[in-house]
Amino acid sequence: MGGIQKKKFERGSATNYITRNKARKKLQLSLPDFRRLCILKGIYPHEPKHKKKVNKGSTAPRTFYLLKDIRFLLHEPIVGKFRDYKVFVRKLKKAYGKTEWSAVERLRENKPTYKLDHIIKERYPTFIDALRDIEDALCMCFLFSTFARTGKCHVQTIQLCRRLAVEWMNYVIASRALRKVFISIKGIYYQAEVMGQLITWLVPYQFSHDHPTDVDYRVMATFTELYTTLLGFVNFRLYHSLNLVYPPKLDSKSNLELKEESEDDYAMNSECYLEKLSALSASLARVVSSTEEDEAEPDQFPVEEEDMEKMEAREKEQKQQEAQKKLFEGLRFFLNREVPRESLAFVIRCFGGEVSWDKSVCIGSTYEVTDETITHQIVDRPNTDQQYINRYYFQPQWVYDCVNAKMLLPVEDYFIGVTLPPHLSPFVEEKDGDYVPPEKLKIMALQRGEKTDHEQEEEEEEDVEGEDEEEEDDVDEEEDDEEEEAEEENLKKMEEQRTQGKSLQVRVTPGKLKTENQARLEQEEKAEEKRLAIMMMKKKEKYLYDKIMFGKKRKVREANKLAAKRKAYDDAEKAKKKKPRK
Amino acid sequence: MAARRLRRVVASQPGFINLKSSSGSADSLSSRRKRVNKNKKKNWNKHSDINDVEEFLDDVRLQERTTGGLLSEKADDSLFFVDVGQPKKAEQKPEPKAEPVEGKKRKNRASRPLRIDLILQHDSLVPPPKDVLAYQQPNAKKLRRIAQKAEQLAAKGVVPRRQKQLLNRRTVVRTAKKAATETNNNPDREYYNIWGQETKDSADPWYLQQTGKKLVKRPEKLNEKPSMLPAVEVMAPGGSYNPDFFSHQSLLQEAHEVEVKKQKEEDKIERQLAVNKEDTATEETTLQEQVEGLVEEEKEEEEEETAANEEESEDVAVGAIALAEKKTERQRKREKAEKIKEQRRLAGRRQTDQRQQLFQLRSIKASIKQQEETTEARHKQRKAKQEAEKAQPRRLGRLKFQAPDLEVQLSDELAGSLRRLKPEGSVLKDRFKSLQKRNLIEPRERAKFKRRHKVKYVEKRAFREIT
Repeated sequence: MGGIQKKKFERGSATNYITRNKARKKLQLSLPDFRRLCILKGIYPHEPKHKKKVNKGSTAPRTFYLLKDIRFLLHEPIVGKFRDYKVFVRKLKKAYGKTEWSAVERLRENKPTYKLDHIIKERYPTFIDALRDIEDALCMCFLFSTFARTGKCHVQTIQLCRRLAVEWMNYVIASRALRKVFISIKGIYYQAEVMGQLITWLVPYQFSHDHPTDVDYRVMATFTELYTTLLGFVNFRLYHSLNLVYPPKLDSKSNLELKEESEDDYAMNSECYLEKLSALSASLARVVSSTEEDEAEPDQFPVEEEDMEKMEAREKEQKQQEAQKKLFEGLRFFLNREVPRESLAFVIRCFGGEVSWDKSVCIGSTYEVTDETITHQIVDRPNTDQQYINRYYFQPQWVYDCVNAKMLLPVEDYFIGVTLPPHLSPFVEEKDGDYVPPEKLKIMALQRGEKTDHEQEEEEEEDVEGEDEEEEDDVDEEEDDEEEEAEEENLKKMEEQRTQGKSLQVRVTPGKLKTENQARLEQEEKAEEKRLAIMMMKKKEKYLYDKIMFGKKRKVREANKLAAKRKAYDDAEKAKKKKPRK
Repeated sequence: MAARRLRRVVASQPGFINLKSSSGSADSLSSRRKRVNKNKKKNWNKHSDINDVEEFLDDVRLQERTTGGLLSEKADDSLFFVDVGQPKKAEQKPEPKAEPVEGKKRKNRASRPLRIDLILQHDSLVPPPKDVLAYQQPNAKKLRRIAQKAEQLAAKGVVPRRQKQLLNRRTVVRTAKKAATETNNNPDREYYNIWGQETKDSADPWYLQQTGKKLVKRPEKLNEKPSMLPAVEVMAPGGSYNPDFFSHQSLLQEAHEVEVKKQKEEDKIERQLAVNKEDTATEETTLQEQVEGLVEEEKEEEEEETAANEEESEDVAVGAIALAEKKTERQRKREKAEKIKEQRRLAGRRQTDQRQQLFQLRSIKASIKQQEETTEARHKQRKAKQEAEKAQPRRLGRLKFQAPDLEVQLSDELAGSLRRLKPEGSVLKDRFKSLQKRNLIEPRERAKFKRRHKVKYVEKRAFREIT
């Protein structure tokens, strides 16, 4: 019963947290400065588990920080710089008030500034750490680079963002790292694979800016300040990993080509180089001019049989990727003036295509419309006056869909004036049993190498119907299968078999009937095994199993329903189309 | 003194002409004579008559001032001229002038200096004395000599030592200062390999730490992200500019559900705020209120009576507590015995229960197992909930996170081609909300502008005159 009486809120979580205001006072900073410091140092507010305990019995909503974090902030040299800046502002105000212009000038010259290099190094100790956090930086830089140069933020910041964004795009082009593109109503999503990391970023459309009022621009500018520093260092490292010169220089060859034009029409001398870089039409200079890239094949190591399959799969994937990287190689594109130039130029150049545009659209065009070697012209208007016979005229969506499908799609669906097929999101990954839109099925079939004839519309229609039937067949099969399946691995195997069976269905040859039989036998054997396994299950497990199966079936049923709906919709559309024709 | 003497000498000469008539001096002389001893110098000064000299000198000064010298010394040409009558042009001119009088007059007036300036003008013809000091230079001779020598040396091609030093001085390196003042957002800033090899500090670590030159190590925990969510959440497939029919429908459905939920909440608040019809005053109720207390006097009296009864009964109850009697010895003993008996009974009961539990072992085991299972299940549930909460935005301040509106284009708003696409929503807002959602910043309201004093509107006089 003895001992000193314990007081409330003197130990435990109450002492681990500190309110924002107290933290601010401890650091002797104003609230905006404190906020900026927290953002730069990566210290975020924390929600305590027991608010009432932390808040000394009060339940008022407050912002809490961990006390240790704030103590850590006390050592930051930037805090001193913030205080200096405050004093600087005070002095400047005073000098202005007294109209001492020489003093104002002197103060201006000695304006206290700070660097964030050490913070970058501290927050991202290794390059990979930085690369993992680059998505935010990219989004922010691309966003700020589209801002109008009005008073919302510093013009210098906008310029820096633009420079960094252009550098990044040039890197992606040089390394051919782009994987996916998705044109949404908000902006364009890109995904690239850089050093094994999948990096997604969002680029707003040009000229689509309304400044929302409920966004704190100061906070965003602070984030941008940090991220521009980060992105600069990352760019430097990436450029050096490809033996490119940093800051980027245009290839001497392409530089000469571009020189011929009258540069003065587009930009001032100081901005000309950046503009040329941002045209994305020329390749970059390398430290060591790589005339022949020796693509040494990776050494083959003897591996165990289990890994063999994986290895093979990996190799196959690699080959696919290589093929994707060279998707547009050898094609020469020409962009009409109404299409989004930067995005298309970026995507086409990422896959090895050559691209140009009208001289009056932008700096850096490499060839004219009249060039006979142009193979593809991208047009986004109902009709064109002059058409060359030896090139395709189509709508810009083709480029994006090709990238997402990892292959050159038939151009017929994208001709001028044709109703486009839907632009599907490449970021959706369907699990088995989910509803898959028929367009995607078609693309998947094309990827597998099945040819569908597009020469005549009727045939196409038949084809679609046939596919639908196939689909239904698939579904039936699936249902049959799923009654028996228990484990996911088995499921995958079955699927492979099924696809095999399907491909066989398409090109039936008498010689291969035997193999089908074998497959059938194997399948039956497996089914038998499974049935036995189910019989051996405990009651409880069986219950769980049934539940899972029921869920799967329900999914399939829903997908079927959607497919049927879609078919009905398509039929209705067709009927509508046919009527006016008659 | 010399000048004065000269003047007097001049005046005594026969050719001198006085400008002023000296008749006044004779009158003053005629006044009564005063006898004074003239053997003292003081008296000389005091009583000798110097008027004539004074007058003369004044006259000389006047002449010098007005004509710039003594009249007697001037040439005749400068003093006289031949009068040939008025020039003819002066006569003729006024007539043609009569017509454009106003214009010319104004011009003349403009060119004529102001009277005040004329008054202030220096009108003496005596030139101001020369400021000798202005022409003198200290050490002029020496300086001249030095300059001459320098010229000679320069002609020979010898550079003096001082200039040699100046030439030999190193140019000031401005870049160092520039680097110090370079701002963070300079568009031409340089980057370098920050993740290169570590530079090892050779200095004493203790010294570095104490002087604040060594950065404090960042705690590992700070590198954890406060949320599991990815930095960029890709839009649903229905948000494509040219979406698949069904994915677009599902996105619309989602947006619709959000709207319905909002509407429901709004409706609920409206319902709660609605005025109940029974609460509004009708004629009846107002009348009743006015008559309240006038009609029902009788009833009140009855109530009073009942109230009185209640009070009496309460009094009784209070008395009962006060009148508790003391227990007798016997009563106490009996109570104690009963207590012991009860305890014994309970102990016996417990013993038998424990003995019985031996036979209940199986059921006990089962119950324990069940308990464990339930705790396990709860543990799992809690873990799952925690995991799920990691992806949820936390409550970090006064305001809760509010999810942004879904960007959706209706079926008729969808553009057929990329050219006609109308972007929906703002990327800036999307990024801002994403930062909030990932717990990087707390949701905040924009600070409202508060006026300290009320604004008083006053109509300006100019404005009032018009209306």
